[in-house]
Amino acid sequence: MFCLETYLQESEDYDILISRAGFKDCARVIEENAPEIIYVNAGEKILGARIIGIPPVPIGINEEKSTILFPYTKPCYGTAVVEIPVPQEEIVKIRDLNIKGC
Amino acid sequence: MKKALILLGCPESPSQTPMAVYVTYRLKNMGYEVTTASTPSAMKLLEVGDPEGHYIEKKIDIDSCIDKLESGSYDLLVGFIHKDAAASYFVTFYSILNTTSIAIIFEKDPEKLEEFENIVSESTDANIVSARAYHNPTPLRVRFDKMIKKLGVTNKL
Repeated sequence: MFCLETYLQESEDYDILISRAGFKDCARVIEENAPEIIYVNAGEKILGARIIGIPPVPIGINEEKSTILFPYTKPCYGTAVVEIPVPQEEIVKIRDLNIKGC
Repeated sequence: MKKALILLGCPESPSQTPMAVYVTYRLKNMGYEVTTASTPSAMKLLEVGDPEGHYIEKKIDIDSCIDKLESGSYDLLVGFIHKDAAASYFVTFYSILNTTSIAIIFEKDPEKLEEFENIVSESTDANIVSARAYHNPTPLRVRFDKMIKKLGVTNKL
């Protein structure tokens, strides 16, 4: 199963757009920095790992770069926004989780 | 046996650890099997204070347990919230478990306390126990006891 913590330690292919922030600020950063936004329920699995957040949780999609932006929360460090590359099929799976009308 | 999950946040607020032991004590006396989910640092504080595990018996890591959670895994969720991240974790666990829940919200800053109360009340139907508290857990203990009594009377526990 994909582990974001391991990925962030072992790869350099990611961006942190904001860190040690509140969830609402991170949601705004995602909405302002992604061409496409999908809203999902808290606890939904993205890349096999559950997303922590306050619903509706925005997931940003940049199809041109084949990346997604999502909130990443740790109990003592607050929330960050991470942008990582994903396969196209993962983008399709994320679109299927949308809880808001298009 | 009914099962309860206690969700701990970052342990930097002094009230959290003694309240976690107290909540475990109360719930065990009510017949619950209690599991505590926390960070390793929050768990270390509990283990030092309860070295023989009289209260804290079942322990799980907050991040690794979440992937295995399912709706109905527990009969009661009790979450400690004194940071934005803890509110996010509580709402997420609430969404997954879909069970009777109590949010214990505490902060010394009244604006932050209200903000956390709003996040929880807007995103869940959890029962809220809140107080301005940092070093002194007594206001939380008193309000938690009242909530337990109220939920017991209405057969929600």
